[in-house]
Amino acid sequence: MTSAINLVFSNSKYLLLSTVIFSSMLVGLLILSEYVFINPYVVSHIPSGTEFGFVLIVVISALSALVLPMNIFRINTLKKSKQKMGGGVFGSVVGAAAGACSCGQIGFAVISTFGSVGATVTAFLTNYEIPIRMIAVGILAVTYFTTVKSLKTECAFDPDL
Amino acid sequence: MNKLGIIMGVIVIVIIAGVAASLSVSPSETVNLDMGRTHGTISTAMGSPILGDPLAPITIVEFGDYQCEMCYRWFHTSKPQIVENYIETGKANLVFIDLAFLGRDSSKAAQATYCAEDQEQYWAFHDMLYNSQEHVDNGWANSERLKAFAFSLELDMELFDSCLDSGKYSKRVDYNIQQAKKHDVNSTPTFIVVGNNQEKQISGAQPFSVFKQILDTMV
Repeated sequence: MTSAINLVFSNSKYLLLSTVIFSSMLVGLLILSEYVFINPYVVSHIPSGTEFGFVLIVVISALSALVLPMNIFRINTLKKSKQKMGGGVFGSVVGAAAGACSCGQIGFAVISTFGSVGATVTAFLTNYEIPIRMIAVGILAVTYFTTVKSLKTECAFDPDL
Repeated sequence: MNKLGIIMGVIVIVIIAGVAASLSVSPSETVNLDMGRTHGTISTAMGSPILGDPLAPITIVEFGDYQCEMCYRWFHTSKPQIVENYIETGKANLVFIDLAFLGRDSSKAAQATYCAEDQEQYWAFHDMLYNSQEHVDNGWANSERLKAFAFSLELDMELFDSCLDSGKYSKRVDYNIQQAKKHDVNSTPTFIVVGNNQEKQISGAQPFSVFKQILDTMV
C-alpha cells in the first residue's frame, strides 16, 4: 500500500495535484457548510454538535486528494481505462453535494430555478447530509483500495516499469 | 301591506345578522400593522413584532426559514448571547423577516407565527418552532403539528385554526419573501444590521464574535 502511494506521489506533479484537490475541497466544503466564513471577517466556527460533520469533510477531502491523483496516474502512466476513475469522482461529488444544498446560496438558486423538484432534492441532500457523506467516504475508501491493488498488479506485470 | 312587512322584516334580520357577525370577530384577530415601519432601507412592516426596545439605536433584521438548519444553529448558538448582551440591555432590537423557501411547510410555519401574533404570542411561537425543528418537510411543521404547538402554548384554538386554515397571512409571508429578494438576500439566515446610518450584512450562522465586532462599532 505504501509503495503504491510512494510510486504515485514521488512525482511532484501528482503531489501538487493532491495538495490542490485537498485544499480546494476542504476550504470549499468548510465554507459551504458554514464552518468557515470569509465575509465580513475570516472566522472559523465549529458549533457544538457539528463536530462529526466537520471530521467527515476533512476525511472526504483527504481521500479525494489521495484517490483522484492515483487514478490519474494509472490512466496517464499505465494507459489504463478510465473506468475506475469513476468511483473516485463519484465519491467526491456525492460528498461535496451533501453539504452544498442547504439553506445557502446554492440551495436557494436550485430551488428558485427548479421549483418543487429542486426543493425535494435539496431537502433530501440536507436531511441526509451525514449518511450521504458517510457513503461518500465508503465509496472513496473502496476506490482507494481497488486502485492500490490495481497499481500493484499492473506495475508488477509491466516490464517497462 | 303584510307582504311588505315580511320583506322589511327579512331585510332587518339580515342587517342585524351581518352586524352581529362582524362584531363577533374578536379584536385579537384584527391585524394591527404599522405599514410605514422601516429599518434603514428595509420595509419591516410585515415582519415580526420588534424584539427588545423599539427605540434601541441598532436593529438586527434577520431573514430566516423555520426549516433551515443553519437558522436553528444560529438560534441556539449566537442568538442567546446577542439577546443577553445587546437586546436585553437596550443597545439593539431584532426583527424577523420570513424567507420561507426551503420546503412546502416553510410558508405555513411562517404564517402560523403571525396567527400566534394575533394572540400576542409571536415570539413564544417563533421560539417553539426553532426548539422543535426536525428534517425539512418530514411533517414536523405541517398544519396539524403547528396547531399542536399552538395548543401547547394555550392559544385560543378556534381563532388559531381559522387563521391558519384560511391562509390569512399567506400574502404577508409572500411580501416578506419579496422584501428579502429586493435586498439581495439569497440564503438563510442572513442579517442586515441597521444603525448609525449604516447597514451591514452578515450571511450565515456566524458566531457571536462577528456580531459583537459589528454591533460594537455601531453603538
